[in-house]
Amino acid sequence: MLEVKLHDIGEGMTEGEILHYFVKPGDQVQSDQPLVEVQTDKMTAELPSPGSGVIKEIIINPGATVTVGTTLLIIENDDKRANQQQVEATQSLPTNSNTRILAAPYTRKIAREHGIGLDDVKGTGPGGRIIDDDVYRFIKQKEKQTTIASQVLPSTESNQRKEAVPVKASSIPFKGRRKLIAKKMAQSLYTIPHVTHFEEIDMTELLTLVKELKQLEKPISVPAFFVKAITIALSDFPVFNAKLDEEKERIHLESEYNIGIATDSKDGLIVPVIHQANQKTIKDIHREMKSMIKKAQENSLTSKEISGGTFTISNVGPLGSIGATPIINYPETGLIAFHATKEKPAVVRGEIVIRSIMNISMSFDHRVADGATAVAFTNRFKEMIEYPNLLLLELV
Amino acid sequence: MVVGELTQERDLIIIGGGPGGYTAAIRAAQLGKEVTLIEKEKLGGICLNRGCIPSKVISHVSNKFNDINQSPELGFKIENCSFDFSKTVEYKHKIITDLRKGIEALCKENHIEVIQGTASFLSADRIGVENGDQFDIYTCNSAIISTGCSTKNHELYDHKHVLDSRSLYELQEIPEQLILFGNDYIALEAAFSYQSLGSEVHLVIENDIFPGLDFAINKELFRQLKKAKIKLHKNLSFSSVELNKTHLSVAFDLKHGDKVTMEASYLYIQSPFRANIGELGIDRLGITCDEHGYIEIDKECRTSIPTIWAVGDVTGGKQLAVKAIRQGKVAAEAISGIPSEWSEAFIPTIIHSKPPIATIGLTEEEAKDQGYAVRTGQFNQARNGFAAITGNRDGFSKVVSNAENDVILGIHLYGSNAIELISTGILALEMAAREEDIKFPLFPHPSNNEGLLEAVEALVNQAIHQVPKKSKITSS
Repeated sequence: MLEVKLHDIGEGMTEGEILHYFVKPGDQVQSDQPLVEVQTDKMTAELPSPGSGVIKEIIINPGATVTVGTTLLIIENDDKRANQQQVEATQSLPTNSNTRILAAPYTRKIAREHGIGLDDVKGTGPGGRIIDDDVYRFIKQKEKQTTIASQVLPSTESNQRKEAVPVKASSIPFKGRRKLIAKKMAQSLYTIPHVTHFEEIDMTELLTLVKELKQLEKPISVPAFFVKAITIALSDFPVFNAKLDEEKERIHLESEYNIGIATDSKDGLIVPVIHQANQKTIKDIHREMKSMIKKAQENSLTSKEISGGTFTISNVGPLGSIGATPIINYPETGLIAFHATKEKPAVVRGEIVIRSIMNISMSFDHRVADGATAVAFTNRFKEMIEYPNLLLLELV
Repeated sequence: MVVGELTQERDLIIIGGGPGGYTAAIRAAQLGKEVTLIEKEKLGGICLNRGCIPSKVISHVSNKFNDINQSPELGFKIENCSFDFSKTVEYKHKIITDLRKGIEALCKENHIEVIQGTASFLSADRIGVENGDQFDIYTCNSAIISTGCSTKNHELYDHKHVLDSRSLYELQEIPEQLILFGNDYIALEAAFSYQSLGSEVHLVIENDIFPGLDFAINKELFRQLKKAKIKLHKNLSFSSVELNKTHLSVAFDLKHGDKVTMEASYLYIQSPFRANIGELGIDRLGITCDEHGYIEIDKECRTSIPTIWAVGDVTGGKQLAVKAIRQGKVAAEAISGIPSEWSEAFIPTIIHSKPPIATIGLTEEEAKDQGYAVRTGQFNQARNGFAAITGNRDGFSKVVSNAENDVILGIHLYGSNAIELISTGILALEMAAREEDIKFPLFPHPSNNEGLLEAVEALVNQAIHQVPKKSKITSS
């Protein structure tokens, strides 16, 4: 007998809504055959069958929201190997007390009393031994992270507070995606020394081009150009398309240019990713962005669609704003936020003219790159947006 | 059986008064719990009544016997020395009774209620206790199961001539011929003990090694068995046994299909164990057991039912009192709200052979298998001054360490006082000691302790009382 449980399908989910079963009791199923569709706070996913057999019973009805670990259905299996796996899994469950941890019993007691597993603590003592100070440092670090997380919370919260909570309520639940966002933001800010610099970009030419394309009934959104220009700038400055591995003392330059699009949805921020954007036309990017944003709002992004990003953009311009200090999408190295485009008086060739001006804020990891490189990077980006004809030169 | 539905309320109920159960009871009482301990036989369990304690009495007596026989060179001249085994049996009985009275007194002093009877769960918080015609029902807030284990294949044993690990030490006479079929510490201890007391001992093993011991220990063990005139038969498996009047005819299978028959007055057969859960009714509760029927517990000894705990042999793993005692304390502490845990990472292997064996941590082979850069140091007991004084020159100390960071991985002692000495090694491993941590302290002189010190020094060829290793000249 095989119990199919709701397991963590990634992104730290804790619960999910059962949308739909692909099978019914009595059905013969094969290993890896999709059994059930589950909606989490980030995406919808299909759970595959862990073995082959006959569906014996469906325990949780569609529409119910259950926590990770809940048994959804039972398969009467004919697959001995699957059975064995199940047995092994339960066996390994209770204890791993045979593994050696290099720490004196007194140190282990301190950890135990603070509810800390020593598996996560890095030993700095002689021979890699975990010493009391390592445990205390770990405890402090944990506390700090919680504090940062709670500080980050209010600033990004205002939007939700307006619509979701009735006036008399004094608190809103801190769980699901909100909690995950908090965790990621705290992790990023806690790990990465952020630097943000601002730049002003003349959008007049690009807006003219977008208008022309619309008249030709080939509408392309402005952000699609941003994505394209970013990939080109990144290939000139690959250090911003990188991940720092401090442990191995390497800066890993990514081979793919996967651009994350920070997207607002009713449950909060989510970042769908345009994979290999450098190999896609602006038209393709436009189409893909449109579909991703729709999926984000419908909560139907798959786990692949929200993972693998190497650089993130955040287009807050349509909502307003003139500047920000964005938090990098850890473990990436850089992020650019695009702010509102406004008509402003500008000086062109000695004359005051009206131009459409947009501010951008570029945050980068100062461990990986320095200010001069970052400015050179945004300069490269700026010229392609100000003179969109330059993009022609990059056609393959 | 009278069943009145009059239930009596209790706080913590512990089922089984062996080393795990009574230790849990006392620790819980120390922490302010009201404790009820249910025992169906005698307090002290197998360990005290039929295991550790009786076997060590016999081992101790046989050591004395050896000492007396070896003392002429010290100046003793013992004439008309006689030995009366029935006195030994009396002595053993007295020791067991005294120790048990000690436990009973401790229970009383700690206000632990001891109930005689057989317990079974009616539900997770209701326990029935049957004692003859009486059947009482108790409710409890939490319960600890410490019911131990029993030998499997019980139909093999008559406990008069064919013995298991428990009846092996309940003999009323010294066996004329004793066949021991087994390769664990029980078989080895019995071999040396009964041989010293005058038995003709045949030790029969299924393979050609004693598992779990470092190869250096195995090698020395073969030598010591030979020296003690214990006949070792390798690569045989047990086939059948027949009782002819007072003698047994025991048949073993050779690997190639032939049979060997041996005659003996007594036969011990090593057998796997099974958890004592049959009478407990825990299948009704749905407590999770492993595939061998042992109760699964977490590191706080909690079973799959949050208010029920289990300690000792009934939870499987290495079935040793040392673990049950620790788990008993852990369960009692956890029930009392104190964060506590047990670990099987460093559980010593102790064999009261002659000389004794005591090891902790990894063998050289295990360390290599686990991918460590292994360094070993070995120091022979023959070069230890105190060993010379006491005439215990056999054996050695061996240390296995990680050459990359000096962390000690295993300590293997074979020789006089090994069992007392291994505590240094256990402490060293628990403290994550490195070589210097053992080399720095001052070890008493003269003593067997120095053997361990010099084994650690031998890791880098710096043992003082060891002939320097001839350096190998290699051409590059």
